[in-house]
Amino acid sequence: MKTRTALATLVGLALAQGATAQDDPKLRADNVPPEDRRGGTLVAGQHITVTHPIGTVASGMRNIAGAQLNAGLIRLNDDYEPTPYLATSWEFSDDGRAFSFELHPEARFHDGEDITCTDVAFSVKTSQENHPFKTMFTPVTDVTGGDSKSCTMMLDSEHPALLTALSPGLLPIIPEHVFNDGQDMQSHPRLTTDVVGSGPFKLVEWDGNDLIRFERNDDFFIEGLPYLDEIVIDIVADPSTLALGLESGQYDMASLWSGDDIAAAEANPNLKVIDKGFEAIGSIPFIQMNLRHPNLEDVRVRQALAYGYDFDQYNSLVYAGQHRRQCGGIQSQSPFYNPDAECYEHDIEKARALLSDAGYEEGDLTIEVSTYPGQLQTAAEVLKQQWSKIGVNVDIDMHPDEVTMLSEMTAEDSDYQIGLVGLWNWGDPVIGVHRSYNCDNRKVGVAFSNMSWYCNEEVDALLAEAGAELDTEKRKALYFQATDLINEDVPVIYASNEVWYTRMQQDVQNPPDGVWGWMDSWAETWIDR
Amino acid sequence: MRQASTIAKRLVEAALLILAVIVFNFMLVHLAPGDVVDALSSGAFGDASEEVNARLREQLKLDEPVLVQLGAYIGNVLQGDFGYSPVAKAPVMDLILPRVGPTLLLAISSLAFAVVLGVAIGTYAARRPESGFSHSLTVFSLIGFAMPVFWTGLLLLIVFGVWLQWLPISGMVNLRLPRDATLIERGLDVVHHLILPTVSLGVIFLASFSRLARASMLEVLQSDYVRTARAKGLPERTVLYKHALRNGLIPIVTIHGMEFGVLLSGAILVETVFAWPGLGRLAFTSVLTRDTSVLLAILTLVSVTVILANALTDIVYRLIDPRLRVPEAT
Amino acid sequence: MSVERAGVEREVVAGAPGVFRAAVDVRERDAAPGRAALGMFLRNRAAVAGAIMMIVILLVSYALPPFVTADKNDFVGGRHTPPLTEGAPLFGTDYLGRDIGLIVMHGGSTTLEVAGFAAVLIVFVGALVGAIAGYHGGWVDKVLMKFTEFFQILPGLLFALVVVALFGASTLTIVLAIGIIAWPPVARQTRSEFMKQKSLEYVKAARAIGASDTRIILSTILPNALPVLIVQITLAMGTAILFEAGLSFLGLGDADSLSWGYYVGLNRQYFLVNWWGVTLPGLMVFLTVLSLSLIGDGIQDAVNPKLRGR
Repeated sequence: MKTRTALATLVGLALAQGATAQDDPKLRADNVPPEDRRGGTLVAGQHITVTHPIGTVASGMRNIAGAQLNAGLIRLNDDYEPTPYLATSWEFSDDGRAFSFELHPEARFHDGEDITCTDVAFSVKTSQENHPFKTMFTPVTDVTGGDSKSCTMMLDSEHPALLTALSPGLLPIIPEHVFNDGQDMQSHPRLTTDVVGSGPFKLVEWDGNDLIRFERNDDFFIEGLPYLDEIVIDIVADPSTLALGLESGQYDMASLWSGDDIAAAEANPNLKVIDKGFEAIGSIPFIQMNLRHPNLEDVRVRQALAYGYDFDQYNSLVYAGQHRRQCGGIQSQSPFYNPDAECYEHDIEKARALLSDAGYEEGDLTIEVSTYPGQLQTAAEVLKQQWSKIGVNVDIDMHPDEVTMLSEMTAEDSDYQIGLVGLWNWGDPVIGVHRSYNCDNRKVGVAFSNMSWYCNEEVDALLAEAGAELDTEKRKALYFQATDLINEDVPVIYASNEVWYTRMQQDVQNPPDGVWGWMDSWAETWIDR
Repeated sequence: MRQASTIAKRLVEAALLILAVIVFNFMLVHLAPGDVVDALSSGAFGDASEEVNARLREQLKLDEPVLVQLGAYIGNVLQGDFGYSPVAKAPVMDLILPRVGPTLLLAISSLAFAVVLGVAIGTYAARRPESGFSHSLTVFSLIGFAMPVFWTGLLLLIVFGVWLQWLPISGMVNLRLPRDATLIERGLDVVHHLILPTVSLGVIFLASFSRLARASMLEVLQSDYVRTARAKGLPERTVLYKHALRNGLIPIVTIHGMEFGVLLSGAILVETVFAWPGLGRLAFTSVLTRDTSVLLAILTLVSVTVILANALTDIVYRLIDPRLRVPEAT
Repeated sequence: MSVERAGVEREVVAGAPGVFRAAVDVRERDAAPGRAALGMFLRNRAAVAGAIMMIVILLVSYALPPFVTADKNDFVGGRHTPPLTEGAPLFGTDYLGRDIGLIVMHGGSTTLEVAGFAAVLIVFVGALVGAIAGYHGGWVDKVLMKFTEFFQILPGLLFALVVVALFGASTLTIVLAIGIIAWPPVARQTRSEFMKQKSLEYVKAARAIGASDTRIILSTILPNALPVLIVQITLAMGTAILFEAGLSFLGLGDADSLSWGYYVGLNRQYFLVNWWGVTLPGLMVFLTVLSLSLIGDGIQDAVNPKLRGR
C-alpha cells in the first residue's frame, strides 16, 4: 500500500535533507475556503473525558484538544512525511547524532513571547521527566540554541523514531517562561488555568468532563490559518447522544464507536462518514494474558485460546465488519507490519487438541475488564461465548474503573489471568510497541507496561537492534523476525486493528483525517456554511 | 430563653454531626485499596511513571499517618478548601462549584413540579374521598415509587426526544446558541432542556406528594376549624383556599434535608441519562476516573447540606409554629 | 426522622433513588385478628394483583430456568431483532444477537437475590436497633437514635456508589452498601411500634411475672409487631431492588449474571435502534417493586382497617 511504502521512505528523507523552508506549509492547500466561508464555530462531540490538554507530560485522548492548543516541530502528512510546522527546515548530521532545525521567525506563544530553542529544550526535558513514553527521547542528551531560533538536538545514538516523536501529539511545545518555576509539572496550576499555548487556537474554557472551548489565535505563525473562529468540544460518554446530536445538527463532527453508528450515519444523506484518519495511532484491543499465572504458563494453552478466538464473528457482531484483522503487535497500517505473517485462524478442533495436550480438557478462566467507554466489555461477552466452545468457561470480572483494573493487573505477583485493554502503537514501534514485550519493562504498578510479564531474550535483542537501525529494509526484517517470535509465544491475542471513523455534517471541509486523525491541528478545517 | 437554648443545642448537634460525617467519609475513602495517585499511572490518561507518582505522594502528604491527614483535611474543609485533585489537575472546589448550580436547578424544579402538581391532584382527591380517583391515587403513588428513575428517563427520552423530537435529548444548553443571544433566549433554552430531566426526577416525588397532600387535606377538611367555617355558611371555595389549603400545605412544604439526599441520588441517574452537567454526573465520572478527592468532597458536601437543611427546618418550625413547641416526637 | 405536623406523621424514607414514602398515621391502632386480616387483604384488588404479579415473577425467575436449557449467552440470530418477529426469539435480540427473553428470565434471580440479602440485612439491623431503642427508652434510645440519624444523613445512592466504586462491585459490597443506607427508616418504624406496645397491658403483665427484657422483646412484643415488620420487609426489598438496579445500571454490577438493571445499562447505548432491550428489563424492575409495594400496602391496610383509603 502506498502509505506503507511512503512511511518506509520517512527515514530516508530525514537522513538526507530535511524539508526546506516553504512559504505555504499547509497540508490541504488544494481546499482553501473562500473569504465569506472563513470563520464560524465547529462543534465536535467526543466520548472520552480528559484531565488537562498538555501532551508533553501525559498521553492519550487529551491530544485532541492538545493539538489545537499547542504546536509541534513538524507535522506528518498523509504519506507519513514530516512537513514544516514550528520547524521550517531541519537536517541530520552525517552520523545521525545531531539534529539541527530552524524555528519559524513569526512563531509566538499566545501571550506574545517568542518561541525559541529554550522552549524546545524545556519541552523535551519535561517529556523525558514526565511522559510515560520514555523511549521517545531517551537518546536526546541536550538541545542547544538558547533564545535563538536555530537549534540542535544532540543524540547519543541513532534514533529513527525521532521525527515521528516531534508531532504535535507527542511533543507539544510548551512555554518555558510559564512552566519553569520549580513547581512540579504534574500538578502545575497552569495546566488547566490561564493556559498559554503555541498552537492555532487559544483555550477559552476548560472542563475535561464536559466542555472545552477554543478561539482563534489571530497571531498564528502560518499565514491565513486557522480558518475557524471557534472550536467547541462537547464530552459525552453516551454514543446515542453523540449520534442524535449529530443528526439534530448540534454537532458538526462526532467520534464513532460501534458498527451500528457507522451504518446509521452512512444511511443519512446529511452526514458523511470517513474511515480515513488515525492510521498512525494503531489502536489494538489487547487480550492480554498473564504468563505468571499457572493456567497460562503453558504456551499451548495460549495458542489454544488464540485458535478459539473467532475474529470474523467478533468483527461482525461488534463492529459491523468494519475493523481490520490484526496478527501481530505492530499495527496493520505500519510499514513494519508483515502482511504475510501467520495468523491464528479460528479452529475449534485445533484449540481443543492443544488444550488436552497441555493437560486441560475443560477449564475456568477469568477476564478482567472495566467500564472504560468502548467495546471492551462487549469483547469480553463475545470471548466468553466463543471460548465456551473450546471448553473454557469464562467469568467476567467487571471493574468500576480502568484504574483499579490496571492496578490489579500490574500488582506485584498479580494473579490476574486475562485482561482486556486497548493499546496504541503511536506511529513508530519504538514508541508504542516495544513497551509491551521488553523484559525490562515488566514493571510493578505501571500501566501499559509489559503487563503479560513476557520475556524472550531473543525478541529483546531484535527489538533493541530494530530501534536503532536507520536502514528501513533492515529494520523491517528485524521487526518481522521479532513479531514472528512473539506470535509463536503468543503472550497477547490481538482482537483487531480498530478503524476509527469520523462522522460529520456534509459541509465540513478538510476534516482532521490525517495520519494522527483528530490529534493533529484542525487549523485547516472549515465549514461551508 | 428556653427557645434560644434549644436552638443553640440544635446548632451544636448539627456541627457535631457534620464533623462525624467528615471523619466517617474520610476514613472510608482511606480504607479503600490504593490511593488517589494510583489513578495516574493507569487509565487512558497514561499520565505518570513511578518516580512521578512518588513525587506526587510526597507533595500531597499521602505517606503521613492517617490521623494527621485527617486533621489537615478537616481543617481545610472548614475553610472551604477540599484539596487538590491530582487526577483532574485542579483544586476540587473548582471542579465542584460550577456543577452546583445545574444540580440545584434540577432539584428545585423537580420539587416544584412535584409539589404544585401533587397538591393539585391531592386536593382534588381529598374533596372526593370516596371516588375512584381517590382510591386509584394510592396505586398511582405506588407506581411512581416503583418506576426506576433511569428507566423513566430513558423512556421519556425515547418518546419525546427521539420519536416525537419535541425536546432536546441531552445537555443543559444548546451549543449552537449564537454568541449574542439575549438572557431571555438563554433562559428559555435552559428551560427547554430542563423539562425531561425534571419530569423524570419529579414523577417519583409527585406520586408520594399527591398522596401526602390528600391525607393532609383530608385531615384539615375534617377539622373543627373548617367545619365551623362551613357551618357559618362560607362558600366552599373560600373554605378550601383560605383555610384548608394553607394549613394542609404545611407538611408538604416542609422540605426536609433528607429530601436533598434523596434528590441527589435520583439526580445521579437522571444527570447521567440526560448528560446534565451537575454534581451527580461529576460523581459518576469521578468513579470512572477514580478521582477519590472529588468523590469525597461531593459526599461530604451533600451530607453537610442535608444536616444543615434539617437543622434549619427544625429551627424555623420552632420559631414560627407555637403549637409545635412540644418535645420532639421522633 | 419523623415529625408530627398537623396530625400527620411524615416519615421520610431516605432510601432508593428518589424514593420518598409518606407513612400513614400510626397513632390510631386497631389490630385486626389474623383471619379477618387475611380476608381484608384478599378483598383488596390492588393487593391481590400485586400478589399474583409477584408469584408470576418468582415462577419465571426460579421455576422456569431449570426447564430452559438454552444458554443465555448464545448468539441466536440477527442483532437488534424486534419482539414478535417471525423466526426470532419472542422478546427480540440484543446487540450481540442474544435472546433478550432468556437473559431477562435469568436476570430475575440475580436481582431478587441481591435485593433479598440486602433486605434481610436492612430489616435485621433496623429492627434490632429500633426494638432496643423503642423498648428501653431513655439514654439507650437517645444514643441509638443519634446513631440512626447519622446513617440516615448519608445520601443514598451517592454513598452506595462511592462504596462500590472504592471496594469493588461484588455482591457482598453491593449488599452491604445498600444495607448501610436503607436500614434507618426500618429502625424508626420498629421503634415507634415498640414504644407503643411496651405500655400495653400484656407487656406489663409479662414484666410482672418476671420475664427478662430479651424475652419480652422477642417472644412477647415481636409477634405483635410482626405485621409492621412484614410491611417493612416488603418496602425494604423494593428499595433494595431499586438501589441494585440503579447501581448496576451505572455499570457497578456482575457482568456474568446480568441483573435487570445491569442489562438496561448494557443496552443503553443502543437504544436508538433497540428500544426493547432497554424497556423490557426495566419493566421487570418496575413490576417487581410495584407488586412488593402493593402487597405491603395490602398487608398494612388489612391490619389497620381504619387507614384504608388514605
